[in-house]
Amino acid sequence: MKQTGNWKRERLGLLMIAASLVAIVFLVILLLAHQRDSRESAIRTRGLNLVQLLSGMPVQELLPKDGQRGLLQVFGYGQRSTEIAYAGLVDPAGRVLNGFTAPGVIMPETKIPDEPSSWLAEQPRDADGRSVIEFHAPLLADGRLRGFIRLGYFKPTLKIGYEQLPFIASLALTVFLLTPIFYLLVKREVSPLRAASHQIDVLIRSDTFQKVDLSATGELSDFLQSFNRFTERSLQRIHELESGGDSLQTSNMLLSYKQGRIEAVLQALPEAIIVLDETGAATYANAKVPGLLGIKRDEVVGQLPREWCVEPDLLAYLSRYQHNTNRGYAEPAVVFSHPQAPEKTIAATAYPLFSPHDPSQTSGTLVVFRDVTQEFMAREARGEFVAHVAHELKSPLNVLHLYSDELLEMGSGDEALRIEAVNVIHDEVDRLSTLINNLLSITKIEMGSMSLDRRRVRLRDLLQDAMESVSRNGRDTDLQFTLDLPRELPPVTVDKDLLRVAVNNLLTNAIKYNRPGGKVTLSAAETDEAIEIRVTDSGIGITHEDQAHIFEKFYRSNEEPVLQKPGHGLGLSLAKQIIDLHHGRLNVTSTPGHGTEFTIELSKEEDLVAQVI
Amino acid sequence: MPRVLIADDEPHVIRVLRLRLEHAGYQVETAANGAVALDHVRDHQPDVLITDVQMPRMTGRELCEQIQAELPDRKFLIVVLTSRTEVEHREWSRKLTNTRFLEKPASMSQLLAMLDDYFAAQLPIPGGTP
Repeated sequence: MKQTGNWKRERLGLLMIAASLVAIVFLVILLLAHQRDSRESAIRTRGLNLVQLLSGMPVQELLPKDGQRGLLQVFGYGQRSTEIAYAGLVDPAGRVLNGFTAPGVIMPETKIPDEPSSWLAEQPRDADGRSVIEFHAPLLADGRLRGFIRLGYFKPTLKIGYEQLPFIASLALTVFLLTPIFYLLVKREVSPLRAASHQIDVLIRSDTFQKVDLSATGELSDFLQSFNRFTERSLQRIHELESGGDSLQTSNMLLSYKQGRIEAVLQALPEAIIVLDETGAATYANAKVPGLLGIKRDEVVGQLPREWCVEPDLLAYLSRYQHNTNRGYAEPAVVFSHPQAPEKTIAATAYPLFSPHDPSQTSGTLVVFRDVTQEFMAREARGEFVAHVAHELKSPLNVLHLYSDELLEMGSGDEALRIEAVNVIHDEVDRLSTLINNLLSITKIEMGSMSLDRRRVRLRDLLQDAMESVSRNGRDTDLQFTLDLPRELPPVTVDKDLLRVAVNNLLTNAIKYNRPGGKVTLSAAETDEAIEIRVTDSGIGITHEDQAHIFEKFYRSNEEPVLQKPGHGLGLSLAKQIIDLHHGRLNVTSTPGHGTEFTIELSKEEDLVAQVI
Repeated sequence: MPRVLIADDEPHVIRVLRLRLEHAGYQVETAANGAVALDHVRDHQPDVLITDVQMPRMTGRELCEQIQAELPDRKFLIVVLTSRTEVEHREWSRKLTNTRFLEKPASMSQLLAMLDDYFAAQLPIPGGTP
């Protein structure tokens, strides 16, 4: 590779040497050709003059005589044998009468033309393979043609004579000396280009594009200055593009970061989310969609609602957002049942996504699906509760209304009825008051606003008081009341008033749903884990079906003996909530027809915690 | 004497209604819930049935709809007397023929006036004048 590189680099020098050799050869050839032409011209002049001179001489002078050489021989030997091919005297018929030839040359035969105008002329001849220029002239004696003088000169050829060698050598030397000078000059002009080429090579091979500064003189100077400007501009442009690329990359990273964050937010939401584009096709569905809607995410994404939505109300709701770019408000939610689980209620709300550039345009729709089963149940329960409360309040009010009406109507006539009316009104007001108190307590507990006023209480005293109060109210009955308490009962940390309400409600029920001559027992016992308070009666009992519901608000049994007794269905519910508030347990065991036992369990551990607090 | 059947689970209500209606000249029968009232109706149709809505075992609505089903050509009046004043209760009672709706607490004079108007429009008055 390196050798190839060197060879390439020195190619210019080699080319110049070759060119100088060609120039030398060309010059030598030109020189020789010129010499040849000069000699040929000199031969012509000399030949013609000589042949004319000889033709004017008397024939006798020309021919040998008395053993002496004739003029022709003399002439022939006097001439340089290198030029004269032959010289001869021929008769008109062309026969050679006298003459000489150069060594190895035979005088060619010739036929002199008959016309006198052609007697003095030159003709090219061939003598034993060598070109000859022949000059001939007539020999006249006494006005008569006696013969012809033929003079043949070798035609000059291109050949280097020894005498020319110094000249040629000096010429070649000059050319050789000029070649390196030219070479250096050219190299000097070319070197900036080579440097530029090298730098460009480096630029191409390197990863970064750098500024180059090339300089040269002469014509190249302008070119390189332009080139420098070009690279400078290119560099500038590259920097611009690179900084543009950097900001683009930053934007991309920011965008992907934002997208990631938005997606994380959408995934973290408890609701199922589907995003629709302007055409109504879903572009995104979060991970809650399959669980809430029973549809796989890939069945939703890229599809129009009609492809995945089987709920007609929802489909109609969503289709209103399709191709509708001007809708600028969210419609009220549409509520439907889960396709696979009808007990589940789902609410879907669509929110238009406004374009950030043009708030009058929407760029899609955000559809939020929420499981509102609990809300619906709570709403229904709330409605039911209010209806129950209204009914329970109105019932005593109605009785009050009827009796007060009756009192007004009858005046002071019927004393018995008046007493009855007053008693009923008194009882109903009591009933109403209890009902309102129970309602308030239950509502407070359910709202979480009931705070326990826990204090150390002597349980024995509390239970005794409760029993006394209840048995006093039940003194008109023939029930047998028993208080069975151990001698030692540890104090408990409870809300005295609330626990009293709970125990009171259990005792009231035990009296209300008892039988004539029945028993009501209030007992307490201490175990390792808890303190147990038991309210036992020998009453009508609670059926198995009813046992599952007795702690629900407003629940009343449909059993006839129960229906005969007034009640709101709140007493047990309240008792249960009070015990729950104390982190205790309220259990029931009952045998219909034989009696019921309610047990309050107050955990000792819980009691310890309460003491600390 | 027109016979009135009162269905209500509240003994005090029955007591006062009976007192005033008997005083006004009606013969009164009572039932503590819808099921008992239905038995009464089946045995002997009254001239007026006054019924509460919320009752154990069979509600007033169930009672009325059962009567409507069993006796489509019933002649007697039904008065729904209830403290359940939700629209739905008015709605179902409105669908029944010859049925009035009266909201608790209602005054006796209001009830008696309604019955007077009803019987005045019935010619001849079944069972004579109250």
